[in-house]
Amino acid sequence: MSFLQAILDGLLIGGVYAVISIGLTLVYGVMGIVNFAQAEFLTIGMFTAWFAWAFLGLDPVLAAPLSFAVAFAIGWVVQGQLIARVLSAPSVAQIFLTVGLLIVIENGTLLLFGSQFRSVTTSYQTISLSLGPLFISIPYLIAFAMSLACGVALWWFMRASWFGRAMRATAQNPAAARLMGIDTALMYKMAFALGVGLTAFGGAVILPYVTVYPGVGGQFVVLMFTVVVLGGLGSVAGAVVGGLSVGVIQSLSSLFFPIQLQNLVLFIVFILVLAVRPQGLVGASR
Amino acid sequence: MSKHHSLGSTGVNRRALLSGTAALLASPFVLSSARAEAAPVNVGVIMPLSGPNAQFGINSRNGIELVADEINTAGGIAELGGAKINLVVADATSTPTTAGTVAQRLITQQDMTAVLGAFVSSLTIAISEVTERRDIPLLTMSFADQITGRGYKNIFQVVAKASVIGKAQFEYTAAIAQAAGAKIEKIAIMYEDTAYGTAQANGLRAGAKAANVEVVMDDAYPLGITDTTPLINKLRGSGAQAVFPVSYLNDSLLIIRTMRQQKLTIPAIGGAAGYVIPDFEKGLGEFAENVLSIDTSNYDLAPQLTERFRKRFGYFMVHEALEHAVCLEVLVQAIRKAKSAKAEDVAAALRGAKFTGGWINGMTGGAVQFDQTGLNVLSVPLMVQWRAKDIVTVWPKDIAKSAPVWRS
Repeated sequence: MSFLQAILDGLLIGGVYAVISIGLTLVYGVMGIVNFAQAEFLTIGMFTAWFAWAFLGLDPVLAAPLSFAVAFAIGWVVQGQLIARVLSAPSVAQIFLTVGLLIVIENGTLLLFGSQFRSVTTSYQTISLSLGPLFISIPYLIAFAMSLACGVALWWFMRASWFGRAMRATAQNPAAARLMGIDTALMYKMAFALGVGLTAFGGAVILPYVTVYPGVGGQFVVLMFTVVVLGGLGSVAGAVVGGLSVGVIQSLSSLFFPIQLQNLVLFIVFILVLAVRPQGLVGASR
Repeated sequence: MSKHHSLGSTGVNRRALLSGTAALLASPFVLSSARAEAAPVNVGVIMPLSGPNAQFGINSRNGIELVADEINTAGGIAELGGAKINLVVADATSTPTTAGTVAQRLITQQDMTAVLGAFVSSLTIAISEVTERRDIPLLTMSFADQITGRGYKNIFQVVAKASVIGKAQFEYTAAIAQAAGAKIEKIAIMYEDTAYGTAQANGLRAGAKAANVEVVMDDAYPLGITDTTPLINKLRGSGAQAVFPVSYLNDSLLIIRTMRQQKLTIPAIGGAAGYVIPDFEKGLGEFAENVLSIDTSNYDLAPQLTERFRKRFGYFMVHEALEHAVCLEVLVQAIRKAKSAKAEDVAAALRGAKFTGGWINGMTGGAVQFDQTGLNVLSVPLMVQWRAKDIVTVWPKDIAKSAPVWRS
């Protein structure tokens, strides 16, 4: 029974890992840029939701669209003013830029908001559903449901909308896309803003169970990269599979090993998967 | 007499100010030599001001600043011609390697009389390696046994060490349960795996073993954990009658929240740190009620002193603020005694002597006396409990402000 419980907890947590990592994979998939500052947008999303809770009395889950909007706007400007300049530059320049951005955002939030932990209090925070002998944590369930809704919305957007198709066309072949009359610069802005917006959205929905402080992104950055590489870098479906797998692996490993070894087990599985399937679980299909 | 003195010193200040202004136009170097008459006493304050443990660093700094400002407003250290205390605050971050580097830089840049810091045991250990090499006294309220267990000559620990605190955490709990007619046979321990958590868990184990109590769960977890569900799942299955979590803030909130989610109502007895600051109650609201924690001092034992902190900062004087205030009080008394701000003179004055009065009245034992390892032999742990948004001393009986509530 504890096995089932561990799988359930892992899936719930993994759903959130998936949504915060989709942004990272989207940016890479469309633009070929690895955004090291991605996790900082999680911090931005969490702070936005925290302020909305503290000053507007908004539940973090309801504030998630606001977090998305704030990060989307920042992402739009960052892409247009900064990233656009290094799109065709050597990858070292791209790495310096996004790592620089990471440092600026982390220290900027530190300067603006101070270093203390901020936590929200919500009515459902300490409630869980009992399903026979299983417990389903309500904050985890809500975060999972919100992530799922967000993922479905993204899927629909990429499949069905003109923008989504144009974005995929840009990812496949920017030159051909331009010939077809697609404004690729706009697509890049859209992809980057959407990517960081999704991560910020994920930040807001986890606020009921994770406290926010300027360094919180650092707790997730390695996980995010693990998720996308495990699933297949650049693949949205891969991020979902990767996210759920990482959640379940972490959760199951703590049944058999001390919780400190959680990430050790994760990385052993990670290395094994990459040894057998270097393109990741879902593969390189974008 | 004092009036005459203060008039005189105003004159000196005015002259210094004039020459200082002139010197400012010439070069900044002359300015510092013009002020050198009552050379300030430099005290390094190295605290985690960013990262996961920043809140504790800020609390500690507040306590130190309060005492320094009070001494400076009262005319500084008379034995050194009214020298002011100059706090040089530095951010240790929450990483030990950075803490060591920061300490090194601080000491190289300025002559330090002493260093205070750094709340987190693993940071204090890193800093102490630097201060020991440079023969500068380091006063701390960190818990780990290692701090005074390495034969260092320049380290002074004003509180009991972690193994003693951990043992008391268990023994006080057993006594409180017994007083309520309950008997504990199985306990669970979970701790954050740095110097502090590991050392305190050793004390808990020793206490349980001595009392023939079974430890049915004994798990370490990493600093910065974001999901405690696996721990609580295990706790639920373990059949423990009480849980002893030793954690900083974020993890303490996660642990209690997840316990409540899973409807686990066994008593939780925290290991100080995250369990005894206002943010704990703020983060948990009604779920903080009746949570017990071991501690090394509590504001309600010296309300007349700690009220000054509340007045200035707007929250009760948390133990790290109080104990850091005691560190500075002890340091200043040693400087007065040595009539010198030289690090080696001050270190000599700190050893062996018994310090009393002022902020030291806030300590259990009512005085501070360091043995040859630098440990304050008079400090005794105490148990506190959250009651209606307030934290109350409930054990040992002779100093308790209220009787403990035990619900098993």
